[in-house]
Amino acid sequence: MALQLLILACLLLAVPALAGGLWGKDRSLLFRWISGQFLLWAGFQLICVPLILGKRSFTLLTELYLAYMAALSLLAAALEIGRRKKGRGSGRKEKEAGRRPVEGIALWAVFGAVLLFQLAQAVRLAYADTDDAYYVAVAAVTENSDTMYRVLPYTGGETMLDSRHGLAPFPIWIAFLARLSGMRTVTVAQVVAPVVLIAMTYGIYYLFSKELFPERSGQRAMFLIFTELLVLFGNYSIYTVENFMIARSRQGKAALGNIVIPFLLLLLLLLLKKLQEKERIPFSTYLLLGTVVMTGCLCSTLGALLVCMAIGVAGALGAVCYRRLRILAPLMLCCMPGVAYAVLYLLSGS
Amino acid sequence: MWNDVAVLFREYMGTGLIVIWYLLCLVWLWLNEKRSYMRVLFLYMPLALLFLYFNPLFAGLVYRVADGEIYYRILWLLPITVAIAYTCVCIYGRMARDGQRRANLFALCAAGILGISGSFIYSSPFFSRAENMYHVPDVVVEICDAINVPGREVRALFPMELLQYVRQYSPMTCMPYGREITVDKWNYYHPLREEMETEVIRLETLVPLTREYICHYVIFRPGQKVRGNPEDYGWQRFGQVDGYVIYRDTQVELAVPELD
Repeated sequence: MALQLLILACLLLAVPALAGGLWGKDRSLLFRWISGQFLLWAGFQLICVPLILGKRSFTLLTELYLAYMAALSLLAAALEIGRRKKGRGSGRKEKEAGRRPVEGIALWAVFGAVLLFQLAQAVRLAYADTDDAYYVAVAAVTENSDTMYRVLPYTGGETMLDSRHGLAPFPIWIAFLARLSGMRTVTVAQVVAPVVLIAMTYGIYYLFSKELFPERSGQRAMFLIFTELLVLFGNYSIYTVENFMIARSRQGKAALGNIVIPFLLLLLLLLLKKLQEKERIPFSTYLLLGTVVMTGCLCSTLGALLVCMAIGVAGALGAVCYRRLRILAPLMLCCMPGVAYAVLYLLSGS
Repeated sequence: MWNDVAVLFREYMGTGLIVIWYLLCLVWLWLNEKRSYMRVLFLYMPLALLFLYFNPLFAGLVYRVADGEIYYRILWLLPITVAIAYTCVCIYGRMARDGQRRANLFALCAAGILGISGSFIYSSPFFSRAENMYHVPDVVVEICDAINVPGREVRALFPMELLQYVRQYSPMTCMPYGREITVDKWNYYHPLREEMETEVIRLETLVPLTREYICHYVIFRPGQKVRGNPEDYGWQRFGQVDGYVIYRDTQVELAVPELD
């Protein structure tokens, strides 16, 4: 069990944090972890869907994705070593040390305690959601049968390729984690994934708080406590993202609502801020938006529409408000993966 | 369709209180937020998205290509949580300039109001204490482990309440029908289910059906009334887990593969 957890920690924490270094040197470790995971998810979607449609084995996917992860990690490590040799890393560290939060320690303690409570509840409590009979079973069947979307998840037995669901193969990512760690798929889905994904959601809210309250650490903590409160009391409808986050975090649609969309909104905030300050939009921002679009497609077939809608609306408003029509073309390019998957979805249904 | 869109919006709002607080936050931000990029993200974008959500042309397009039931997910693009939390902290910050005590009181009141307006997520009846690290009932784990044959799949007929868990835990356990049967709106019919879920199961009707669907095992829930003697039909009592009785149909072949 300890070894399995160690492998999962490596796959879900260390590798994404390392890969996130590819986005540039001036990023916090938290941003690196989250953006690195988006880079990995985007690659997973890019590798996985053609293999599903080509009826290839899950083992082949595992090998190719591992190679992708290794390549990204090596590249990121080489870049990091290069930066450190040039002595740029130490300056940033000192700067960050100077910015450590000292204000509102009690509030940070409250936030940490409530977060730990939610993570403990994710392990301690089971949620009876009938959709798990599909999503978790798909992951379990994939790991067991070495096929993808070719076995009926509810009953067993071979069937024709379920290409519609295969376009959003989030459960296959769960199966990948189970295959590599050796942990039973259902445990990865029901225990490990919720803990990591809930923590990641709050990580995104923390990044939001840094943008909203750049000067006041105490206010950041208070903002995070309010978000926790809204999540904990978000059961006013079964449709809310908060409900999905706590109750169904292992499902791709929950990741769409609680990780992909908030992170996208954060990126759009950064983009709009740069537009207002008349700064040049770095190429990496568009690339990161592209990975978010890909991840949206990985999580849910509706993800392509939602993510492209948000980029389209925010992009159009930004272009008009700040008279920067030139941003529309690269933003449209960012949405292209989503458009491609939407076309595939329509074709698979016809 | 317009009705569906409105109903989905109403259902998304739940009691409506949190959405009312969100709208009030938007008004406050409209009056007080000075940073234009924040206005774009927190004010103009949600308004544009709501316009699209309620736009019949857009709704018609989405309904045509996707399942209409998930149309509400467009509302996930509204940054409700972030906007409410941000507004509360901004108001707190302003009040703190005039006096910390008043600001603290406001923060406590706001937290209380938000708590009362929502519903505590862990109070949902669907949450229960996990019985194991798989988050499926122990009884499912024990039954699947008991009937599992290394190296091959087995098919078993389970009572309705266990259906959704079986293949999450054991993909080697197949079933003649699964979760799809539990969703009323899908109108899925299966003759075995009709027989399995009656008050008194008639073996003379059930046994031919379980053989037609090649079920190696049949599991009866605790206290299930059965008409007929299972042994007379070639069923062997295989075991009992937490009151659930497992029968093995000896007339359905279950070859055990040789494993290296």
